[in-house]
Amino acid sequence: MQGPEPIDSDLWVEKYGDMMYRFALVRVKDQDAAEEVVQQTLVSALQAKNSFQGRSSEKSWLFGILKHKIMDHFRAAKKFQSYDLSTDDDADPFEKAFDKTRHWRIPVQNWNMDPEKAAQNRQLVDALSQCLDKLSEKYRKIFVMREVDGVSSEEICNEFNIQPTNLWVMLHRARNQLKRCLETQWFNK
Amino acid sequence: MGKISHWLKITCQDTSPLVSEMMDHNLPLGKRLRVWLHLAICKMCKNCQSQFLTMRSMARSLGEEDASPSSSALSMEAKEKIKRAMKSSS
Repeated sequence: MQGPEPIDSDLWVEKYGDMMYRFALVRVKDQDAAEEVVQQTLVSALQAKNSFQGRSSEKSWLFGILKHKIMDHFRAAKKFQSYDLSTDDDADPFEKAFDKTRHWRIPVQNWNMDPEKAAQNRQLVDALSQCLDKLSEKYRKIFVMREVDGVSSEEICNEFNIQPTNLWVMLHRARNQLKRCLETQWFNK
Repeated sequence: MGKISHWLKITCQDTSPLVSEMMDHNLPLGKRLRVWLHLAICKMCKNCQSQFLTMRSMARSLGEEDASPSSSALSMEAKEKIKRAMKSSS
């Protein structure tokens, strides 16, 4: 029975490097940080190559390591930044969007767009990416973990010492900021 | 009946954060019911929910491993640096 193919490290960089870089960049935003996590991933993968037994594809295996390195990057930032809600955080942009009876004062648009079709519209998804870059670093990281990677609320709260009610407030504010940005950049253009 | 009517009353300002929150965890049954009833009669809040769900679908697409190539790519220098780091670690 043949064992796994020998690993050509240069080939890994050429074959997967750009894809991994783009994957990391969506999550960590900073180009240097994205390069760093890709490098850490490929170095770790090379050191652990004997543990790769070919049960998943080589690509899946590498991306599994990459996802861990990205989470490590987020965890490292905990030392310098609290992820919990603070009074310095951006407020809800729609705080004043309600009238005295607490109903919408400003009409909420119907985007007339099927979510699946929206996800397939490359330019619209790129517009979302640009809007993501305008969020504060904290809101951006939390939104990326929850909405891009589907990490559960519980895991985010436990991992980053956030009170659940505060997490939900921050996610609501991030969603409203993105909504407002998308309407300016795309839907109302 | 008055108490029930009062309990069922939920405004748009109450509903908007709950529509977001229910994407992140299960609301208690009472809140869930009140949001559901409000969404059944309020087009604006229904639009709001639809917007949040559309953004979720787009965000998931953004994060896929095979997301369509954009202009972002590793520079030649970065690739060489990574290759050197891999060689020196093996």
